[in-house]
Amino acid sequence: MALLELHDLTVRYRSGSRDVTAVRGVDLTLEAGDTLGLAGESGCGKSTLAMSVLRLLPSSAEIGGRILLDGEDVAAMKWGRLRAVRWTSAAIVFQGAMHALNPVRRVRDQIAEPIVLHADTQPSAAELRERVDSLLAQVELPAAKSGAYPHELSGGQRQRVMIAMALACEPRLIIADEPTTALDVIVQAQVLSLMTNLVAQQDIGLIMISHDLAVLASTCERLAVMYEGRIVEEGNAAAVIAAPEHAHTRALAAAFPTVGDPAFRYAPSTSSPLGLPEPPAEAPSDVLLRTEDLRVTFARGRSVTHAVAGVDLEVRRGEIVALVGQSGSGKTTLARTILGLRQPTSGRVVYDGTPVPVSSRGLRAYRRQVQLVLQDPTSALNPRHSVYESVAEGLRIHGITDDERSRVAAALEAAELRPPEEYMPLLPHQLSGGQRQRVVIAGALALEPHLLVADEPVASLDASVRGEILALLLRLRAKLDLAALVITHDLGLAWNIADCVAVMYQGELVEVGPVDEVLLSPRHDYTRSLLAALPTTQPTTQPTEA
Amino acid sequence: MTAPSARSMAWRRRGAAFAAGWREFAKQRSGVIGLGLLVLIVLLAVLAPVITDQEGLDVTKATGGTMDPPSSEFLLGTDRSGRSVLLLTLWGARMSLTVGFVATLLSIAIGTVFGILAAHYGGWASGTLMRITDFFLVLPSLVLAIALSTVLEPGISTIILAIGLTSWASGARLVRAQTLTIEARPYIERSRALGGGHLHVISKHVLPAVLPLVFVNTTLAVGSAIVAEATLSFLGLGDPDPMRPSWGTMLRSAWLDSAVIAGAWWYLLPPGIAIGIVVLAFTMCGRALESVLNPRLREG
Repeated sequence: MALLELHDLTVRYRSGSRDVTAVRGVDLTLEAGDTLGLAGESGCGKSTLAMSVLRLLPSSAEIGGRILLDGEDVAAMKWGRLRAVRWTSAAIVFQGAMHALNPVRRVRDQIAEPIVLHADTQPSAAELRERVDSLLAQVELPAAKSGAYPHELSGGQRQRVMIAMALACEPRLIIADEPTTALDVIVQAQVLSLMTNLVAQQDIGLIMISHDLAVLASTCERLAVMYEGRIVEEGNAAAVIAAPEHAHTRALAAAFPTVGDPAFRYAPSTSSPLGLPEPPAEAPSDVLLRTEDLRVTFARGRSVTHAVAGVDLEVRRGEIVALVGQSGSGKTTLARTILGLRQPTSGRVVYDGTPVPVSSRGLRAYRRQVQLVLQDPTSALNPRHSVYESVAEGLRIHGITDDERSRVAAALEAAELRPPEEYMPLLPHQLSGGQRQRVVIAGALALEPHLLVADEPVASLDASVRGEILALLLRLRAKLDLAALVITHDLGLAWNIADCVAVMYQGELVEVGPVDEVLLSPRHDYTRSLLAALPTTQPTTQPTEA
Repeated sequence: MTAPSARSMAWRRRGAAFAAGWREFAKQRSGVIGLGLLVLIVLLAVLAPVITDQEGLDVTKATGGTMDPPSSEFLLGTDRSGRSVLLLTLWGARMSLTVGFVATLLSIAIGTVFGILAAHYGGWASGTLMRITDFFLVLPSLVLAIALSTVLEPGISTIILAIGLTSWASGARLVRAQTLTIEARPYIERSRALGGGHLHVISKHVLPAVLPLVFVNTTLAVGSAIVAEATLSFLGLGDPDPMRPSWGTMLRSAWLDSAVIAGAWWYLLPPGIAIGIVVLAFTMCGRALESVLNPRLREG
């Protein structure tokens, strides 16, 4: 008997007059010990599918078809039976461990909670403690951590606690909903290898949801790709990735480039008819922006943090530089300092041969030249301002009043929002994520800058949109000779578009150089460990521990 | 067809947003009733000089007897000097509403400015402003208002000042909290990176986002300002001019004239009930407005 069977599952959300069908007829079977990766973009119904297994959907959801968990129909379960099944038969590792853990309780108590709830006889405190310690040992956390509160743990440790919680009642099925999305590559590799080992040792069925095919390929044997509520492709993970049949699978596979594969060099996946510009012929010459021994320190009470500890970075005219590092490496602080949004503790930023002024008046002129593109376009646009107003904002600030409308139109055109007139009156919530990011870019382009500082410009976008935005950056560089400093944690992005890469670790640049050199023959240990931690679409037996 | 200008586009969008807001407001019966009551009361107060004769407020020209019960001539009876209580209540509405509105505007203006500045600039500026706010917050506002109105010349402006200066602190805290959440949004950072200064960020991003909250707060605060006015006038700190009665001064003179002992309920109840209705109407309007502007309150 299969562990989980879905027969013609449909889920429809009723909301007032409009119904939204999230899942349209899905058939899936999972045996004990199987690992299944569920891939798809946001809104394709993959999370809804996972939550429907335990009937965790809101009351507005209408479920059709049959869900058999261990041969038992989930829809027919009484409330008490459902409660018993939740967590003992199937457990969920939720996305975003910071929000899924209770911030005011120790992790020990939170891991113990399902054990206490599901135990027939109340376990003694000593037994409970022993059980929690053994669970923590399984997820490779020291028992001493059990007394910690969630905020005292790192992102990877919190995700381990979530996994320990999921294992608490020895379930036969674990559903992991984007378990590593918010994590750094190195931590991600550790969490993934942990999950693979646990599943193999304990004969648990695993459904892992992600938008990243590489993550799924490195943990799961089978892969199912969802698109608009349907499973469009299913099969052996390696086979699906090696020879994707459905167009959507191909797009997903191409969106996450393989570092080192020349096919992906200067070639983000794009279906735009505009194509990709030729790679730059010769190395650009003059230095546009330079930081000289830049330092930023934060002092909080007695503890002093060196967020940026002596950075010398150069961006040449028309050059795309990728600044790569883990979260907390100081790369965002460095970007803010370059933009003049934060004062350096010492050192200076030199733009076009002149030091960037400190006074707000002097900074104004500088800010016409250097523009910022933020990570999450949804929050980077004022929800009350139309596209026109958002793009014109910079023009109005700098008192460029002549021909405002045509300047806005030109900027939108440059960001490939065509025809611009149609987009002007729209509000951000009427646009898709990729369109919003284009509006942010248009807002920056309106001032005709020479340098864009982009902080994780595609991290919150869907795989298919990602390539389009990266291709846009390449085309802008070719057309406007626009330089860009792209901050990212994603080495694939650097391989995709950058000329140079600077690897930042604990506030310092540990390695700087042309992309081909740094990523293909890294010299610093940290760069090597970053590269080793990358999940690859070629399934490996054991992702490397850092 | 010529392309619409950015300004006309923005105005058309605002118009549409307003219409949508109005539809949402109209769905709430209590809000509509409150608004209807307010419109009626404000109309009566504004039109009082047209539909009635101010001469009737002059004690020397009063025609009624001393504390006459309601009759066909005086629908709500008369006061001690023979003036019509209905006339007094109508004219009292003018005074009470004026004080209520102007004092609220003053208090909200101070509160909004303090709140936005404290949240926007942070650091020592925020510290200083918030300590001042805390000072006004912990001070018993009635005592402060009494102290102020004894020091200053008695009259309508004094009472407005006394109420306005003592009631802004909680508004400032509210606006500060809202501003802080707005300031944390990335679009503020984008605006800064575009080169926007303090004035730009405050006027284009913070103020429009804070205004709905300020607006709701204003509606709710008018009611308490009217009560505060009645309190101060009842304690004898209001406008002493008998030609400009307010509901508070009416209650005061009813009390001084021992209306309760005389059994003259018509002297006491009209101003009291009027205060109750106006405050209730403002609260109902404010609550409805709040749920229009804050969709999270609509459930339940």
